[in-house]
Amino acid sequence: MNLLAAYLRKRLARALTVIVVLLAITSTAFSGNELAGRWTLTISFPDGPGSSTTQTRTVTIDVFPRGESLHGRANITDDAGRRVGATWRQVGKRVSIAYELPCPGDTPCASLILQGRVKGGGVVIKKGSVIVVWDTPNNRNPALYDTSNGTFRGDRIE
Amino acid sequence: MKSTNLIRFAVLIFSVFGLSLEGPTAKSQVELTLAGEWLVTSSPINGQTASPKGVSLGFPDRDMVFQQQGDIRTGVVLREDVGHDVRPLGVWRVNGDQFSTTFQLWCPNEDGPCGSIVMRGRFVRDDKISGTMTAFFDVFDDRTPTGYDTWTFSFVGNRTAAAASGGSN
Repeated sequence: MNLLAAYLRKRLARALTVIVVLLAITSTAFSGNELAGRWTLTISFPDGPGSSTTQTRTVTIDVFPRGESLHGRANITDDAGRRVGATWRQVGKRVSIAYELPCPGDTPCASLILQGRVKGGGVVIKKGSVIVVWDTPNNRNPALYDTSNGTFRGDRIE
Repeated sequence: MKSTNLIRFAVLIFSVFGLSLEGPTAKSQVELTLAGEWLVTSSPINGQTASPKGVSLGFPDRDMVFQQQGDIRTGVVLREDVGHDVRPLGVWRVNGDQFSTTFQLWCPNEDGPCGSIVMRGRFVRDDKISGTMTAFFDVFDDRTPTGYDTWTFSFVGNRTAAAASGGSN
């Protein structure tokens, strides 16, 4: 009798473990990691083509739900209050956000492609990478324009 | 009499010279915009049929619609030939006669590589554009400065419809 009770307890514990793991996987895969919401992005990249000086920009991104689509839209507001549009895609935890820098005056301008993984149940993007495509043509670069690499981090606000 | 003719001649010269100066100046003051619908045709540079890592894009003609609402400039590629809900999204900016637009690729196959497109070009006329297009695929390539598989195209585009006023996204 004791053996049977112990056996049943073991089975029950295993079943509960499986259920908990499944619930965790389900919530992570289908809702918790969706990018939609408001985030602060801290983006670091060179301040110009070929420059070794790094600039850091903090922007707020309002990511709109994408519904059933593979893509979604977003608005990015920089620390000077300039607002531009952005577009994003996501597969599982992997997200990509693209936008055009707002470029006042003579500052070097560029397009930014941010790539990272949403973690922590959907509240943080750590060690994201950034492709910077500058406006200056460069026939020796496979992209035909100067490029740089950067990094970014995302923290969910809402 | 002579001085009157001289004045008339001077007025004529100033008029003609003034007009000739005014022409390009006025023209350059026209603000160029991508807003509207464009048919963009691209072809791989050097005839490459796939990226260095073997990724392909598949279609040369793109029906692209650009919109602007205040500071928000958006774009969409219409791929109704594939499906009415297939609508790759992008953003854009214009500086003088140069423009840049960036799109996310549409990747329904979650197991395959995806990527982003950056287009750089200029307005040949207000209804004609040309430039280059670079695809950055989510595939590691240590031969490129960015570390991403990179594939370039040239493109030309013709405006097929003007911007709809007061449109929405």
